Amino acid sequence: MARSRTSVRNQIRTLRFHHGEMTQQQLADQIGVTRQTVNAIEGGKYSPSLEVAFRISHVFDKPLEEVFQFAGASG
Amino acid sequence: MDTSFEEKSVWVQLVGLVVGLGSYLVVAGLMVSNGVSALPAFVPVFAVAIALVVAINIAGHVVAAVASQSVEADERDRLIACRAESQSSWILGVGVIGAIMALILSVSGVWVAHLLLISLFGSEVAKGALQIVHYRRGI
Repeated sequence: MARSRTSVRNQIRTLRFHHGEMTQQQLADQIGVTRQTVNAIEGGKYSPSLEVAFRISHVFDKPLEEVFQFAGASG
Repeated sequence: MDTSFEEKSVWVQLVGLVVGLGSYLVVAGLMVSNGVSALPAFVPVFAVAIALVVAINIAGHVVAAVASQSVEADERDRLIACRAESQSSWILGVGVIGAIMALILSVSGVWVAHLLLISLFGSEVAKGALQIVHYRRGI
């Protein structure tokens, strides 16, 4: 797995698995970005905008903080 | 290599610029070193270079579009383009200031024109290269 360049971690890979092995392309189509952008978000190479983050959490029907976590957050 | 249409487009533009304008600058450099100092003499060479850039861009973008599922840019593409532009635009700025200084110092028009062209070329090549870096390394 590629080393993360952002402080935002995510559970997208796991959530895709639990949603019938949803592909990156299927998720990308639902949130209106390219598959490469979904791949970059999953790999920690890109922090999505708040709007795209909300769209992703809406697709998985999860609160935002269950999809994304701020790695730099303390206590 | 797993690339979006926008990233392929950046590669095409970069190759077009380097091949087209790079060739022009090599030929123009040889002309200047041989004593050519009239700007109109450079116009046909420049026209051929621009035609080469356009041809490479058309052919490259057709191939990129065929090889891509979507040709629409998303927020990541726009952010990368914006950041690369802001990181490379200083090169053109330096060239413009240099050209103004050259005009004040009454430097030949051939040198002023080519200073502007080189700074534009450098700025665009740097922008493309930075976009590739941001696509590959993350942003």
